[in-house]
Amino acid sequence: MRDTLTAYRGLARGGTLVAVTYRGRLVLRVLTGFFPLLMMAVWLTVVAEGGPPAGWTAGDFLAYYAAATLVVNLSGDHVVWQWDADLRSGDLSLRLLRPLHPFHQYAAADLGQRAVTLVALGPALALAAVLSPALDYPVTPARLVAFAAALVLAYALGLLTASTFALLGFWSTQTANVWLLWWGLGSFASGWVAPLELLPPWLRTAALVLPFRSMMGFPVELLTGRLDGAQTAFGFAVGLGWLGVFALLYRFGWRRGVRRHQAVAG
Amino acid sequence: MIRRQLRVLRICWRAAVAADLEYRLQFLSAAALSAFWMVWAVAGASVYFRFAGSVAGWTHGEVLVVIGLFFTLNGLRQTLLQPNLELMSDHVRRGTLDFLLTKPFDAQLLVSLGRVRVTNLLDPALGLVLTTVGVGLAGRGVSPGRLAAFLLLLACAAVLLYALTVLLMAATVVLVAAEDLDRVSFAFVELSRFPVDLYRDPARTLLTVVPVAFLTTYPGAALLGRLDPRLLPVAVLVAAGAVALATAAWRRALRTYAGVGG
Repeated sequence: MRDTLTAYRGLARGGTLVAVTYRGRLVLRVLTGFFPLLMMAVWLTVVAEGGPPAGWTAGDFLAYYAAATLVVNLSGDHVVWQWDADLRSGDLSLRLLRPLHPFHQYAAADLGQRAVTLVALGPALALAAVLSPALDYPVTPARLVAFAAALVLAYALGLLTASTFALLGFWSTQTANVWLLWWGLGSFASGWVAPLELLPPWLRTAALVLPFRSMMGFPVELLTGRLDGAQTAFGFAVGLGWLGVFALLYRFGWRRGVRRHQAVAG
Repeated sequence: MIRRQLRVLRICWRAAVAADLEYRLQFLSAAALSAFWMVWAVAGASVYFRFAGSVAGWTHGEVLVVIGLFFTLNGLRQTLLQPNLELMSDHVRRGTLDFLLTKPFDAQLLVSLGRVRVTNLLDPALGLVLTTVGVGLAGRGVSPGRLAAFLLLLACAAVLLYALTVLLMAATVVLVAAEDLDRVSFAFVELSRFPVDLYRDPARTLLTVVPVAFLTTYPGAALLGRLDPRLLPVAVLVAAGAVALATAAWRRALRTYAGVGG
């Protein structure tokens, strides 16, 4: 356990250094991930023309999408690409030789990179919220703590689902496409395409019990003060439940997969 | 001259297509994914129309016309431009650009169009199907004049994209490690996902100047017969100017290129 922690610290530092070294790339990634902002821009036009849809004012949309940008950039699912690349190139064999499970190697490096994003985007959002009257978050200490916890849960669930899907690489070469399909379907239930309150009722109901909302919509809704105590507790329960499900799936997949693994030359 | 260039390009493309088609499963699943993203985009845009009959004067059907054109241009970008941009940063980093420059053939043509990737070949076709459906839903009819204006503007849009690619290639020569320049061309096309009228000023004006509006909004508007005809010559001028600018930038970049040895 202590060894794992030490390794985490070292690998996370490595990830941070990589992110800081290629900071231009990081900025570009954040800037080009603007799809939700396009959606927001159109919503603002809808509000200006026909009044707030379902009670959502321009300020509500701004607060929602600004928080969503932060949460999306802190997502833990980026590891799927590194897994996929390593399985294809054979570099996974190298990682298997190290005294730390590959899952932790990927997770630690990714945590280091996300830390840079958090340090850059978190204060930026806080500053914008203080300076701009349009960006209004009803923050209380309790709500901030809940938001931070939901953010950690979102990260962990993203990391675990992405790693589970990455294991498909032991059987198939189509990991990336399967992952994109899963992500694309999920983006409607996560709050990425539009805030869940604006979606048809059947989709909203489904989204409440599916795993996707825990990875994006739930923390955002918490921060924007849209959830009462019971809804918050329910959200955490759903997220933790899926975390358990994917932890089991991951363990199962890893045991079966690594036995099948035929290393490609590195 | 032009015939020889076309022949060389055809040979390059045939080789690239043959190599890509070896991975049949990859090709099939990418095609399925193309169709999926299209349904995804249509479903995403339909959320707005739960609350409004039209946005900024664009009805649901009319927005679909533009989304279809977005897929058409994005497919072209992924088929023709992206693989060449990726190859270009390899060429500069590893020094193999030297070999290309010494070949008795127009280097700009070879680096900008020498490669194709078939993975997203279906996107332009699917996009045009969606555009046709949108035209039907919009119920404004079609006329030969509109169709001609549409085709002219679509050609201008393709030329604009090409110019951007050459400009990014020139930037690659100067900046060397610039794989992520591809994201610039991605962003340029991504901004054209909806008609620019759907955004409010200053974004709307900005996207007209940048010139994202020339990619999908104006061709779509022409097809729907709602375009100011004075924009036709403007589009041609913008496209021609962009190519001239990009070619000049490419030549200038090559003059600064010192070669890094292969």
